[in-house]
Amino acid sequence: MSGTQSPPEADVEERAGEAEFTGRGLERVEDHRILTGRAEYVHDVAPENCLHMALVRSMHAHADIVDIDVSAALEVPGCEAVLTAEDIKERYNPMPCGLNGFEEWSLADGKVRYVGEPVAAVVATDRYVAEDAVDAVVVDYETRDCVVDPRGALEDDVVVHEEFGSNVADREELVFGDVEGAFEDADRVVESSYSWGRISGVPLETAGVVAQYDDDADSFDIDCNIQLHTLVDDTVYETLGYGPDDVHLNVPADVGGSFGTKIAIHRYCCLAAMASQQLERPVKFVEDRIENLQGGDMHSSEREYEVKLAVDDDGTIRGLDVWFVDDFGAWPRYPVNQVLKPLSVVSNAYDIQDVRYEYELVLTNKTSQTAYRGFGVPSHIYALEMIVEEAARELGMDPDELRRRNLIAPDQMPYELPTKNIYDSGDFPEAFEEIQRIVDEHERCEGGLLDPEVVAAKREEGKYRGVRPTVHIEPGVSGSDWTDRQRSDRAELDDRDRDDVAELPEHLRAEVLADGTVKAYIATDTSGQGHQTLVSQLLADELGVLPSDIEVGYLDSVEAPTEYGTAASRMAVMLSGATAGLGRTLVENLEALAAREWDCGVAEVAYRDGRVERVDTGESLSLADLANRDADGEFVRASYDYEHPASQLEEFDEALSRKFPVYPTAAFAANAPIVEVDAKTGEVDILKFYSLRDCGTQLNPTIVEGQAHGGIAQGVGAALQEEFGYDDAGQPQAITLFDYKLPSIENVPEIKLEHTETPSPFTETGAKGTGEGGMIDGPAAIAASINAALEPLDVTVDQIPFTPNRVRERIRNSSVER
Amino acid sequence: MSTDDTSVPADRPTEEITVTVNGETVTTEVEPRHKLSDFLREHLGLRGVRVGCEHGVCGACTVLMDGDAVKSCLSYAVQADGAELETVEGLADDGSLHPIQQSFHEEHALQCGFCTSGFVMATKELLNENPDPDDEEIREGLADNICRCTGYQNIYEAVNRAADRMEDE
Repeated sequence: MSGTQSPPEADVEERAGEAEFTGRGLERVEDHRILTGRAEYVHDVAPENCLHMALVRSMHAHADIVDIDVSAALEVPGCEAVLTAEDIKERYNPMPCGLNGFEEWSLADGKVRYVGEPVAAVVATDRYVAEDAVDAVVVDYETRDCVVDPRGALEDDVVVHEEFGSNVADREELVFGDVEGAFEDADRVVESSYSWGRISGVPLETAGVVAQYDDDADSFDIDCNIQLHTLVDDTVYETLGYGPDDVHLNVPADVGGSFGTKIAIHRYCCLAAMASQQLERPVKFVEDRIENLQGGDMHSSEREYEVKLAVDDDGTIRGLDVWFVDDFGAWPRYPVNQVLKPLSVVSNAYDIQDVRYEYELVLTNKTSQTAYRGFGVPSHIYALEMIVEEAARELGMDPDELRRRNLIAPDQMPYELPTKNIYDSGDFPEAFEEIQRIVDEHERCEGGLLDPEVVAAKREEGKYRGVRPTVHIEPGVSGSDWTDRQRSDRAELDDRDRDDVAELPEHLRAEVLADGTVKAYIATDTSGQGHQTLVSQLLADELGVLPSDIEVGYLDSVEAPTEYGTAASRMAVMLSGATAGLGRTLVENLEALAAREWDCGVAEVAYRDGRVERVDTGESLSLADLANRDADGEFVRASYDYEHPASQLEEFDEALSRKFPVYPTAAFAANAPIVEVDAKTGEVDILKFYSLRDCGTQLNPTIVEGQAHGGIAQGVGAALQEEFGYDDAGQPQAITLFDYKLPSIENVPEIKLEHTETPSPFTETGAKGTGEGGMIDGPAAIAASINAALEPLDVTVDQIPFTPNRVRERIRNSSVER
Repeated sequence: MSTDDTSVPADRPTEEITVTVNGETVTTEVEPRHKLSDFLREHLGLRGVRVGCEHGVCGACTVLMDGDAVKSCLSYAVQADGAELETVEGLADDGSLHPIQQSFHEEHALQCGFCTSGFVMATKELLNENPDPDDEEIREGLADNICRCTGYQNIYEAVNRAADRMEDE
């Protein structure tokens, strides 16, 4: 078991009567090993006799590979091998691809399609030597024209994959309700264009892998920091040409951030494994930061939107029409496809029943796309909020009033979206009013940031302050079987039966040890969310013991069932559901064991506070006693699979059977970031970020708050700073952290959080999940507040990130006199 | 602390250096191009030194050299010859956390933890120089480190708590 917990803390409170640990902000059990430098991230895994891999990467965006000369590299002392596509095609398979008709090898085969694409893998005694040898590999390229602009890619003048014949890898138009009627009947149609730049999670720890081939067992042990290791293990074992039981993917208990991005690092796992098999030695690869930013398969969505809103003069929104092109980069990466998830929140917090949604997924000569916190939703919420703002401007209406008028009302809950997903619970109008009250009370008053006198004085200096409250939904709990919709025959989806829907539960197991402590095993990976703490805290309540009596470890991809894991704020809901079920199962088992020991009926015993008591005599057996009486482990070991909440409910049948995104929990936030824009420099400063958040039952409020802070910080980066730009030749412009500007302590404002708790009626514990908020709702909220601040200049946020350059340009081009 | 000098092949140039790391003095041969971060992690087994960017922006590899915070990925091991180095491993005393570590724990100022050693060491330098920093001074003191998970607010709280705790000691 990996990931030993910290020693029991002196400050862990005693179990006091009926008081529960669930709902309390217990400090994390993960921290001690991290703070003392004893945590073992994959970068720290260093088996004896280990070789190191480095990659030769393309410097061209689009070129034919004429020749690869590895002879000089092999002469470098310490260089053990150089692999090219030719070498790996002899023995292995292409990597699974996100759409049918594409075949991607782990090394470029005949042609490169983006700068940074791996062309050859060099293995040497250490990374320094491996890089020496990389420099000695000579690749002869014949360059081609490239395609960089996603709208331009639609023209197919330059085609990234000739054998596919078009850059449009996939497109779909989905119509819900009477969209044509809504747009014809409405008093007016408002339309505009918005763009969302290429951003991503950029975790501080880069991808890493240590692969070891075992000749005797003909199997692989692969330590890596891939995300969803039990779900995407097929990307590794299928590529290697092995069965799922012969390739152990083991993710360390400590992963230095992922935010979705590390779902797609299988290429590195495959290459290191192949090299290990060839050389019969462990092979390690740690991606460096430039590789990571340039061509590390970790950029996320980049979108161009055309949005229309049908709206009446009284402010009633009648219909929504969204078209966008999503730049997938050079390859449709499996299993990532972020164009569909917005369907689960298609109208955000507004009541809109007639919706058209059309996307085009295009391929360009850029790094392939991976998942990022929010999984395609942040840009949709942003575009939707911007068109609502545009409607308010055209109607001459107060945007607050327009929003209020269209919010879904509490008596409409559970609310079925036209796209068939359901919001479980919540009072959006109340949250909207409350955030306004908070801002008025604290800031729109004497001495506040929005004191009218201060705002006026600042404006004299060219500094424009503003705030515009907004409400956003954070869809929670992925894992219904919609993500392969685009690999499915869509014509058949209409006839698909509810029974054909795959369930994707979350697995948890535990055993009581001879000393009476409990060892639990999580079947997924983690990257800083505190899963060990959560399970020990919840299971302690189920079993009536202390959290420090429960140690939590992780299962590798072979030990764990193939299931879903950490994604889309899933774990609060799924792990808490699994913990409750596991606790019940263990208690039943232990009661049965005690009844056997006492030779009495189960009805005559009762489990309480870590012991089983015999009701009539008052005798009792502790957990240690019970474990010692169960030599086979028949009773003291248990596992539980908690099913996706939607799969229990008929209301979701249509969505599930037609493979529409199903997210059965609607966490929500009402945000009010107060911004100040310097009209001279174009800089946007967020002075304070007010956010009222509701994620249902808070299992550990400290962790909930931490997730909100982190999400908002990433939202700030997305809105204002971060972007993977490219020049016309397809050269990436942000390949260091000097160019890709992550928010530092200087950029992230004070965050003022309020929480409400509206438990989900659909989940075991009432939790809704909270991992993606802030990143989902931050950019849209910041954009709306910038619009409010820049209203006097008639400047609006039409392009994310809204960098100083862009702000200055818009202000210069504004027709408003300053 | 383990030492492993076998990684340098005989045909590559090396230089002898002597460094004191967390109070222990080590004399060893290193390649002149060997980064201090790699030296600490690989030769001395101090894996609390994290490598996040290797170009001096993220600060995950921050250690103290003669009391000053330096980015060990931007230094070569040979540059540390004769220096006193402190890493996060040197802080905890017999298993009980240093006040800075304890404060980061209590304030939930870490999530994935990859940046944490760097933040802790930068905080140590900051509090050595200024035992009672205000928010602006904390901001300046930690502006060379990036955290991708926590959003910084809890890091301010942790630094303030550590300052109070160290003042009491």
